Amino acid sequence: MEVHAERDGGALIAQAAGRIDGSNAREFESALRATLSKQDSALILDMQSLSYISSAGLRVILMVAKMLQRRGGKFMVCSLSESIDEVFEISGFNRIIPTHATRSEALAALGE
Amino acid sequence: MGTNNLDLTNRPCKILVVDDEPDLEPLMLQRMRRAIRSGRYTFVFARNGVEALERLNEEQDIDMVLSDINMPQMDGLTLLQQIPKVDPNIRSVIISAYGDMKNIRTAMNRGAFDFVTKPLDFKDLRITIERTVQHMMEWREALASRDKLVALQNELNVANQMQQSILPSQFPKGSDYEVSASMEAARNVGGDFYDVIHLHEGRVGLAIADVSDKGVPAALFMMSSRTLLKGAAIGTLDPGRVLGEVNNLLDEDNDAAMFVTLLYAVYNPATGSLTYANGGHNAPLVVHADGRSSLLPLTHGIALGVIPDLDFLENTVVLSPGDTVIFYTDGVTEAMDDDGEEFGTERLFEIFADGPPKDSEEANNAVFKAVRDFVGDTPQSDDITCMVLYRKESDR
Repeated sequence: MEVHAERDGGALIAQAAGRIDGSNAREFESALRATLSKQDSALILDMQSLSYISSAGLRVILMVAKMLQRRGGKFMVCSLSESIDEVFEISGFNRIIPTHATRSEALAALGE
Repeated sequence: MGTNNLDLTNRPCKILVVDDEPDLEPLMLQRMRRAIRSGRYTFVFARNGVEALERLNEEQDIDMVLSDINMPQMDGLTLLQQIPKVDPNIRSVIISAYGDMKNIRTAMNRGAFDFVTKPLDFKDLRITIERTVQHMMEWREALASRDKLVALQNELNVANQMQQSILPSQFPKGSDYEVSASMEAARNVGGDFYDVIHLHEGRVGLAIADVSDKGVPAALFMMSSRTLLKGAAIGTLDPGRVLGEVNNLLDEDNDAAMFVTLLYAVYNPATGSLTYANGGHNAPLVVHADGRSSLLPLTHGIALGVIPDLDFLENTVVLSPGDTVIFYTDGVTEAMDDDGEEFGTERLFEIFADGPPKDSEEANNAVFKAVRDFVGDTPQSDDITCMVLYRKESDR
């Protein structure tokens, strides 16, 4: 599992790669927290290169989403693979976390 | 043996010097003054083995003993045998007469770490002490990480025991329906559970669940999920209301953002009707008596504990005699083989492609066998849980 961060305008984009499961969910959490500064009010998690995410990983996503919500920020995910999209669908996460097909769609939605 | 004062980097190393020669004390303090002043060593002194043991018992933080052999009351070789009884982690260095191989051999056999010879060469003594201290620090680091490992293992064991303790071991085996269930816990994860709850009017509540995360906090969350579910289930026959209630209670004080996917169904053996609500859990598989298979339609519920005040939609299906419902966790469908391929829903269907199971036990075993055959020797990364409801062929 790896997390790379970059900025596009006012948005922080974190790209997660590999597998996220119970064995590295804590690392994923600290990596996300490390990329996010106090000033950041929008985070897009790009899942293009993510092959698998377990419920322990979803918990981290939920935690970050709640954290941003508390400070009035925005959180969204984009570029979900078919199997991860299914995980979001089954767990109901797609109804509480905005999901977008591509990064540019996510950025466009942020601008609205 | 305590684990306090283990860190020698933050305090001087305390050395007990044992010799009946009164001149050694001022000499040692003088020759070692630089190391003493820099806070690297402190020294305490004793005149024989008996006094040495008194010092060791009085001062709990002595790290190392430097002892002469020939002394009145108790000699150094006897002292060597006594030291481990006070603290097995103290290292001893023996001072012997030059060339006295017999005593040196005895001392080493009794556990001395090293020896120096008289007349004392302080340069050599410094090197010997430094080497001993170095060894001791490494030894203590190893002890500390072993203790950490043991603590971690204990925590995982506690979580596993909690998980095992809440799983029912008795299942309904009636004349018109039966239930079987089992779970294979992953070594380091513990989040799945299932439950069978006897309700009024002959109905039975069936729950299957998967808690996010692992370890003791997750196990505690699992315990409360299960307790809240039982409490809510007794009060109503509506699965949607049960999930709504459990969801609100779990959401309170949930700072760790834990959640549980939970599918809860109420089965009526008299009619074969199965009403369920789903909090973000995998859709169960129905294997019909005529051989067709299908997934129970999703009711689009969100995992419990995520946000409060949710409505959980219900759906009802009617089982025909010979129909089987297979509830499972993602440990089944996401089980991975050596190439990283997932077991998947397709393979779940294939298990019963040759015909429906004869009873719940057979169906349950078939699922576990198929997963095991698929993953081979690949280590299991998640709990694998399956629960089967089987409606028997009528009145044979």
